[in-house]
Amino acid sequence: MRSKTLSHAVVLALVAMLGLTGCQNSHWPWQKNKNSANGSQAGEPPPLGGNDIGEGTRPIVNGELPHGQFEPIYFDFDSARVRPSEVSKIEAVANWMKSNSGAKLVVEGHCDERGTAEYNRALGERRAAAAREELVRMGVDADRITTISYGKDRPADPGHDEAAWAKNRRCEFSAVTQ
Amino acid sequence: MQRTFKSMAVLMIALLGATAARAQVSVKKNFMKRPFAVTGFTGDPTVAGELTEVLKGDVRLSGCLELIPSEQAEFVQQGAVRGDRGGLVVDCYVTRQATKQTVLARSYPASAQDLRRIGHVMSDDIVKAITGQRGIAETKIAFVWTRGGVKELATMDYDGYNVRQLTYDRSISVHPRWSPDGRKIVYTSYLSVFPDVIEADLYTHQRRRLASFPGLNTGGDFSPDGLKIALTLSKDGNPELYTMDAGGGGFLRLTFTRGAESSPTWSPDSQSIAYVSDDRGSPQIYLINKDGGEPTRLTVSPSYNTEPDWSHPPPGSDMKPMLAVTSRVGGVFQIGLYDSDTREVKPLVADDADNEDPTWAPDGRHLVYAKTRHYRSRLYLLDVVTGEQVELPAVEGDASEPAWGP
Repeated sequence: MRSKTLSHAVVLALVAMLGLTGCQNSHWPWQKNKNSANGSQAGEPPPLGGNDIGEGTRPIVNGELPHGQFEPIYFDFDSARVRPSEVSKIEAVANWMKSNSGAKLVVEGHCDERGTAEYNRALGERRAAAAREELVRMGVDADRITTISYGKDRPADPGHDEAAWAKNRRCEFSAVTQ
Repeated sequence: MQRTFKSMAVLMIALLGATAARAQVSVKKNFMKRPFAVTGFTGDPTVAGELTEVLKGDVRLSGCLELIPSEQAEFVQQGAVRGDRGGLVVDCYVTRQATKQTVLARSYPASAQDLRRIGHVMSDDIVKAITGQRGIAETKIAFVWTRGGVKELATMDYDGYNVRQLTYDRSISVHPRWSPDGRKIVYTSYLSVFPDVIEADLYTHQRRRLASFPGLNTGGDFSPDGLKIALTLSKDGNPELYTMDAGGGGFLRLTFTRGAESSPTWSPDSQSIAYVSDDRGSPQIYLINKDGGEPTRLTVSPSYNTEPDWSHPPPGSDMKPMLAVTSRVGGVFQIGLYDSDTREVKPLVADDADNEDPTWAPDGRHLVYAKTRHYRSRLYLLDVVTGEQVELPAVEGDASEPAWGP
């Protein structure tokens, strides 16, 4: 009994030491290095390691995606069906893409706050995919279009009523020229 | 005899009150907590005071012990703090009063900065000694911490203390899930602008991309045997369910629908996966074999069921595996449990707030979920056996999408 207690104490001491080491090393995994001597590195999280699996046809986006060039299209609650009223807006995007053959397009899908987080990420992707399908039908090469779903994380209107929700169930289009 | 009646009446009133104010579904009947007294520790009063508070908090949250004065207690804890603040040793004894039998006698090396952890270790030792079951006091919870418009990952102790921020990306980091050994967390990151599934190693502090295909990469969930990760990818058109090797690669597509599949959660035996699909209209919970094949629809009611989390009670536990689900009823979200007899989700936490993101403790008995009221999200801890629940200490900003570690 005594030796068992003792060996347990040794294990606990080791655990305690490990725990303490963890505390002193208060740089949690990916904290910005505030004390960095190298100015260009300051404030930058370390790069992600590992393989960049499946980067595929994604354009490289630096910073924020440009909004405002095209009108957003809007959706019904819990629906990814493109409303007939929104088709002409997609046509404007398709026409621009056809006359700017070097450009790529990012389609963002968004949801209102009345769905759960992960389900909304999937629903937002379906909305972006529905818009892409229309663009392809109108003659834009599918390889030039990339989708992003933000779920409910990037509302256009921070309000909590039907007027705000209607503005948040949307797709936004951003042209990326490289 | 009369005294027994009186105490039974008091107990019944207490139970009725608890039922009304707390959870609606009781999972097990006739569960009785063991009366337990914490008398604290002799020695350094500051250290003893903090340890006593932590231990009392853990006993309250354990679900199996009732904090009670020593005269009526079945078990009594006593203890001592020895040494100075540089090198502390804490002794803890637990005695069964009726027989004077010692059920626990153990010494814990400690330091003044480490008292919460020592209290948690002690509590789990006490729970193990009395019930034979593993406690939850040493476990951790990962969650999404929203402040100033960005979502970072953080971890905290199971009782909401000791919050540590994990990412500093100033982006959107969401949907954390633990590896079964507690060493890694997979999550969805928008650091590259696009949503990627990232694996973070908490020991080496390395991160790597597991999936960054065109479109949506999200929903990563480790199988309990640690071999596979289930996830949602939309690289073939719309969001579908896949598995991959936990080491990377080996993607296998499981579903082929026109709807969206999301939120996979593994069965305890790592053989099947429950998930959400809206292929037939509103989102419902389905079940599929880990190698694919024909899915089975599980839930039929209510009309909106998402965020399933399958409990994995340890071998020898008297809890059964259960599916916790977020349902949408009357315009608000509520937490429920899937009933395989009726194929309904029975409400467990339903009030005027939005209750979302249930995550099971490794004991398969406690749940943490996010409650949003007046547009602020806080985490709550629920014992599904007693129906008792507590709000965890609030963080600045909002806490959501909790994931209970192993």
